Amino acid sequence: MHDMRFAIPRQDLNREAFASSIPEFNRRSDLMKTDMGYKCRITNVVNLTDQEKLFQLRIVDPQERRIFRFKPGQFLMLELPGYGDVPISISSASSNHEFLELCIRKAGHVTSALFRTEPGMHVAIRGPFGSSFPMDEMSGNNVLLVAGGLGIAPLRAPLFWINEHRDRFHDVHLLYGAKEPSQLLFSYQFDEWKTISHIRLHTIVEHADAEWKESTGMITELFRDISIDAKHTYAIVCGPPVMFKFVCSYLDRLGIPMNRMFVSLERRMHCGMGKCCRCMVGSTFTCIDGPVFDYWSVMNLKEAI
Amino acid sequence: MKNPVYTFEKLKFASFEFTCCEGCQLQFANREASLEAFFSLLDVRTFREISSEKHDDYDIAFVEGSISRSDEIERLLAIRRQAKTLVAFGTCACFGGVNSLKNCHSMDECIAEVYPGLPVETLPIRKISDFVKVDLSIPGCPVAKKEVERIVVSLVTGSLATLPKYPVCVECKEQLNTCLFDLGEICLGPITRAGCDAVCTTGKTPCLGCRGPADDINFPAFLELVGERGLNRSDLKEKLGFYNAFEAYPCQ
Amino acid sequence: MIYKVISKAEFKRFIDALVQNNSAFGPRLVDTDSRGESVYQFQPVSSVEEIAFDYTRTASSAKHFFLPFREELSQFHFHDDDWEQNVSYEANPVVLVGLRACDISALNILDDVLLNSHFPSACYLAKRKNTFVIGMDHLPLPDCFCKSLAHHTVSTGFNLFCSDIGEKYYLSINSSKAFTYLKEFQTEEPSHEDNCLLTERRKLISRSFQTEVDVTSLPSILDIEFDSPVWEKWGAKCLNCGTCAMVCPSCYCYSVEERFNIDLKGASRNRKLYSCNLVDFAVVAGGHNFRPKNGDRLKYRYYHQHRGFAENANQQICVGCNRCGRACLAGINPKDVINDLRMEKESCMICVSQSPART
Repeated sequence: MHDMRFAIPRQDLNREAFASSIPEFNRRSDLMKTDMGYKCRITNVVNLTDQEKLFQLRIVDPQERRIFRFKPGQFLMLELPGYGDVPISISSASSNHEFLELCIRKAGHVTSALFRTEPGMHVAIRGPFGSSFPMDEMSGNNVLLVAGGLGIAPLRAPLFWINEHRDRFHDVHLLYGAKEPSQLLFSYQFDEWKTISHIRLHTIVEHADAEWKESTGMITELFRDISIDAKHTYAIVCGPPVMFKFVCSYLDRLGIPMNRMFVSLERRMHCGMGKCCRCMVGSTFTCIDGPVFDYWSVMNLKEAI
Repeated sequence: MKNPVYTFEKLKFASFEFTCCEGCQLQFANREASLEAFFSLLDVRTFREISSEKHDDYDIAFVEGSISRSDEIERLLAIRRQAKTLVAFGTCACFGGVNSLKNCHSMDECIAEVYPGLPVETLPIRKISDFVKVDLSIPGCPVAKKEVERIVVSLVTGSLATLPKYPVCVECKEQLNTCLFDLGEICLGPITRAGCDAVCTTGKTPCLGCRGPADDINFPAFLELVGERGLNRSDLKEKLGFYNAFEAYPCQ
Repeated sequence: MIYKVISKAEFKRFIDALVQNNSAFGPRLVDTDSRGESVYQFQPVSSVEEIAFDYTRTASSAKHFFLPFREELSQFHFHDDDWEQNVSYEANPVVLVGLRACDISALNILDDVLLNSHFPSACYLAKRKNTFVIGMDHLPLPDCFCKSLAHHTVSTGFNLFCSDIGEKYYLSINSSKAFTYLKEFQTEEPSHEDNCLLTERRKLISRSFQTEVDVTSLPSILDIEFDSPVWEKWGAKCLNCGTCAMVCPSCYCYSVEERFNIDLKGASRNRKLYSCNLVDFAVVAGGHNFRPKNGDRLKYRYYHQHRGFAENANQQICVGCNRCGRACLAGINPKDVINDLRMEKESCMICVSQSPART
């Protein structure tokens, strides 16, 4: 005895007409992309250390490859179907529209499974998500890049950007510290950075070995070797929280304004879209408002460091 | 091309029982809809309940039951030597289980009651982790087959095999149940590990904590709750002791 | 919005027609607690007679009709060493009868967070668009404090809202669907007297609140009192059971899990509603827990509820229904916690030196 007059018609979101009936959702592809990943082929895997690998990916669909654009400092969610997804900062040049590079440390079960993948296999990415380093704003100034350990991974995208626009910057210093010489990542690129990009590279390790000829100690000791014109300098600091706390308060004493120092925070994002709240720090989300914050904002965030 | 991430091998699997009802192992046969898929994940080397064949070349051993005789200790140690992964299967293996009620009496009393006049050896009940290293625990009286399926799939695929860290309340609220404390009962749900889909409380039976304590429980606050509601302290003690799962949380 | 009045008998016939011809849910008596109070929940209903129109409150909110406790986000199918992803947003029409103003306000807040933000949630949208919401006003319970948060009335986010004006219901019709269905029933234009009765009804509701929570400048107080001992005090009571977030109409934090199907031929990506009170909410890869203490986690729930986040323009998301307060076994409720925090703040403002409680 169904009376069809009172049966509410089903609205199907999978149909274009319904999705576009609301102004905010007129771009159906965007709506679907929040849950649907871009399929990528792993084109190359470089073993950096026994804990870190550099994955090179290529988005399979040419049209999707054209759409996917990111800014230095942004991250993506890398998904290995069946195993789950992890937030990874993008380590390649934002101008490179053919390939993406991700530097991944083996930390949990998803990254462990990723370490078993081989070139030719497919993974999915969602994104790009989050805030980026203000490269244009930094133009015309000196740049101080400070990286500790895996912190070099998110710094690689701004490094590429600086290389491509080298004439826009004055002095560029890269201060890079690690526990041991063998843990310095991308050492095969050091010469290129120094000679071609005219980046003043200073490296330091906590525990030197016999062949190590550079400095030994904590990263802050590298500041003795360089002179900074604090008024015209921007800084990007990436590394473990304890490191950037030290470095940033040091730079603060040197007179670099807090809103000209940028850090990249890490939390365990589940959605990347400012919904699940897993990555909230204070009243902000690392995935939407971050991961790149200026140090002034970080200082104002509760429990950020 | 063989895809190394999606190429899986069956688990060389064995199942053993000590002092228990073998009800947890019986759960292997539950959930018929996925039974075929489930057993295609396992290369069963030894499993008394389903096969008379016995092989000792297993990698993963599921151990049900608690330990109550010295020969059981020997057998358990042998299993540990062979198994790459040893799983404590069910509440008895994980905590001692309902068998532990025996520990309230002297062993002589127990023998006189159960086997009067017979030359029987018996020890106080112990959980298996008292004797061997346990790699993974699947608690429950009986275990939840859905969870067993999930963990076996995780073991086969090398993905994360964990239990929920939060208490039963989360799952109980998902079922829109009325809180049993509001119905005047003592329920161990707030301190017991979830993963059972709150099956008892959904049937209006207070939780007896067969899955053991959740991670980082606030036991003093729980005792206070029972006190404030004017509920019977000895009733609480009985419930906490029922499966011996709250040994680490003494209640005076 | 179009306004009509309908006799109570005719209203029941209207609801019956909707309920009989759709998958419908409404408040039903499920238990009587040990103090003799009735316990209601939104449950499936197949005729109007099953609906407890005079219900006090439901123990759990109607949130899960839009944001299920567990939900599949996408599927993967494996074949020939490769995979395909499927995403589908399926939702069947549902009629929800008897939501309170605060419940509908909470849906509007969820709309803000999940739809009107940078990355809209299509799963939520599909359910929201397919749910026919009928709101009903009520006299506040002694512990309701939605008026303090201005959520005791609602003007959007529903299909139909019914105000009880004695012999009749005063209907606020907010969708063409509702208007079309009502055409089949006897309704009238509101008379001058009906309008007066509605005003009286609203005044009565507004006057009847017994609990007030001062939420002025709460966002800044929460920032300033981030290290307050108040959190430790309430944290010591908290059982970390997540009940508050489960029954809350606006808590939406979740967890994403991915699993292989048992036949290993596919996998699914699932979302599970979580609570910031649960012990592993802020655990990161490698096992570090950013909030290992009860008090820190409890604080975050209040932080989220009463300070708000950038994604919803720093608006408070608490609607003042006090479901969390009633459900909390440890007796933690927003009124006491917030008052405690304000006292802490006020004592600090009075004495120039540090508050004695801090030393």
